[in-house]
Amino acid sequence: MTTTTVVSGQPSAPAPRPPQPDAPVPGPTRARAVLALARFEARELLTYLPVLAAFLVYVAATAWRLYSGHPGWHELTGREGMADYPALQDADRATQSGATLLGLALFVCANRTALRAHGRGTEPYFDTLVMEPWRRTLAHALAIVPFALLTALVVAVRFTWAALSPGAVGHGSVFELAVTPLTVLLFGVAGVLLARLIPSAFAGPLLAVALYVAATYVLDLADGAHWSQWLSPVVEETGADPMPSDLVGRPAAWHALYLAGLTAFLLCAALLLGKGRDARAGLRVKVLTGVALLATAAGIAGQSPGPSAALEAARVRVSDHPEQSENCTERGATTYCALPEWTGRTAAWARTTERVRSLAGGTATTRPLTVRQRVEARYGLEGDANHAPLTAPGAVTVGTRWGGNRVPEYAVGLASVLVAGDEKAGAAVCDGRVVTTMWLALGAGPDPLATLRDVRIDDSDQGGAYVLSPTQGLRMSAQQTDVVRALLDRPAQSVTSAVKAHWTELTGPGVSTARVATILGVPDAANGAKGEDTCEE
Amino acid sequence: MRGVTRRLRYPAALLPPVWHALPWRPLAAAGALGWLPVAAARPLSGGTGDTALGLSLLRLAALVAGVGLAFLLDDPARRTTEAVPVRRPVRAGLRLALVAPPLAAWWTAALLLLPAGSRPPSGAVSLEAAGIAGTALALAAASVRLRAEPCPGTGAARGLLALTAAVLLLPDRWSPLVSLQDANWTAAHGWWAAILVVAALVWAVCVPEPLTGHRLLAGRAVRSPCGTSGPSRRS
Repeated sequence: MTTTTVVSGQPSAPAPRPPQPDAPVPGPTRARAVLALARFEARELLTYLPVLAAFLVYVAATAWRLYSGHPGWHELTGREGMADYPALQDADRATQSGATLLGLALFVCANRTALRAHGRGTEPYFDTLVMEPWRRTLAHALAIVPFALLTALVVAVRFTWAALSPGAVGHGSVFELAVTPLTVLLFGVAGVLLARLIPSAFAGPLLAVALYVAATYVLDLADGAHWSQWLSPVVEETGADPMPSDLVGRPAAWHALYLAGLTAFLLCAALLLGKGRDARAGLRVKVLTGVALLATAAGIAGQSPGPSAALEAARVRVSDHPEQSENCTERGATTYCALPEWTGRTAAWARTTERVRSLAGGTATTRPLTVRQRVEARYGLEGDANHAPLTAPGAVTVGTRWGGNRVPEYAVGLASVLVAGDEKAGAAVCDGRVVTTMWLALGAGPDPLATLRDVRIDDSDQGGAYVLSPTQGLRMSAQQTDVVRALLDRPAQSVTSAVKAHWTELTGPGVSTARVATILGVPDAANGAKGEDTCEE
Repeated sequence: MRGVTRRLRYPAALLPPVWHALPWRPLAAAGALGWLPVAAARPLSGGTGDTALGLSLLRLAALVAGVGLAFLLDDPARRTTEAVPVRRPVRAGLRLALVAPPLAAWWTAALLLLPAGSRPPSGAVSLEAAGIAGTALALAAASVRLRAEPCPGTGAARGLLALTAAVLLLPDRWSPLVSLQDANWTAAHGWWAAILVVAALVWAVCVPEPLTGHRLLAGRAVRSPCGTSGPSRRS
């Protein structure tokens, strides 16, 4: 445009001459042009249905998780109480779910935008423009950045939400939080590189399926070897109870370095495939390629070794002898021993403990108890192991999870210790004392009938079923279930006074369910009694 | 009789050019890539029968084949073939008929590639595969019809992948991707049959060329840049 405009009768400054073909375009102008193209391509990406849908679903799913506390939306009802008591060393990597699907959407669509000119036959016209092909490629890659930033924002909101909840314990890792945005960036850049490697429309969708297979099946199934598992961008490792953050032992920093290095390497490879670099830019890109390769190699080398011997030893030590690393505080007649990161949770344990003890009679209200926090770290982050019941008198196990169903489960364990003396004996109880135990665990809680269903393994309130506790649990027969249900229907005050008055008989070994029902004033509920109480169905 | 012969002559004459025009590269790439997971079943399961793994791998193979089939209606010369006297349903049907036998052979081979111990019920899993393939073809046909797109392949493939992702995100009880032990196995396969029927209907509605009439499905008239596409389609 070389028109000269005239404003209020005066000629303006002479118009700039058109740029000479050989004249170097100033650096800042080029950078601005690349950014402008990147901005345009980012907007273009957003108009692709897979990207738009993936991000809408991602944001909606995150909002649902924040609201309901459920880890996914496979469970659509109710609210998961455990979300109020997150362990941040687990909450950080919980933000990684869904990263692969987001990444794949960007992979397919970034591939498509980078090939748009090719498919429309406009590629040759770009040769007449000032911007070189490699800068165009760079702009396509930069267009992914806003999506990575959006993902980072969602991840940050999700983690901050967990960290701000009053029951939060432990420490998160910023490297675990970086995985989702880095994965999005990696997949997007991989899509651009693929467009430069194979300029054909069908390669993107086909390879997206292959990538998904590689990310979910092959790397996981290759005998589950640690090094191959960690080549996958997202390694979630869920299943075990939260363990102290120094026992988690995930190579998160190395993995983030690996992802960042690989992203940079793929970007450099895409730039090297684009033509039109001058010598200086070419050298820079080559140096950057070398650095990125080194970073990737270092990341792989750092993340490949499995848990070290020292870590394994520390895991065994904490699993076998938690008392060596715990801090104990006394509240009334109860001593609470918590792992260092969990000391803030003793108040919540104490509330439940006092509630259960307030229903007991005899010496059980004043007897010294030790609430011992235990964690099973020997089997790694995916090992879901049960605790063996403790044999020390008055010792009660509490796990590292809390909230939701973990609270009544703890109450059942505590009540069985109050009734039978220790956990081992409490788990073997089959006679009428099961009724006493369940009354102590449920009687003073909110909505005891719903809680009864929650602690039973089949969510029922009829018939026989296992009742969960932090250790071995106990078995309720159909008749005991009937009696407990009848007790929960009666006014709590009258049952409590009957329990306190007949405490010795109600907790005596061998007392029958029918006898317990009679003492507690619900003799009709035990009408179906068939002789001896046994733990066999 | 003579009328029938005459009507069959044009399609018969079309066979060689349609065979040439078929998008063999995506189809071949999809075929090769689809066999990979199935062939990997033996090393992955370590020789032991694992029907759950076999089922997942066959579904993946079917998805890859679906992505390939999404390119079936790609016709870079669509703007010129608009003018040929043989209508689009015939041309598209010819493409499908030419691809169907190799596709059936490919799927049978995929089934046979799995170790016998990890092969899920062939009929049910073939129905799922047919549902996926039908969805891909219906997406391609809809793209041709609604967007007047000469090469609907990439869009249809992206749509198929987006649908797959959506299905993966569905809550378990609504998902048509059930496991073998699931009580809903039969009901889910009823849904797969329904998916296949809907896909066939969409194909039937979308494959004919828009002449006049219904606005929603009339699509954008294809304009030839050279102005040789005959009389205007919109009166």
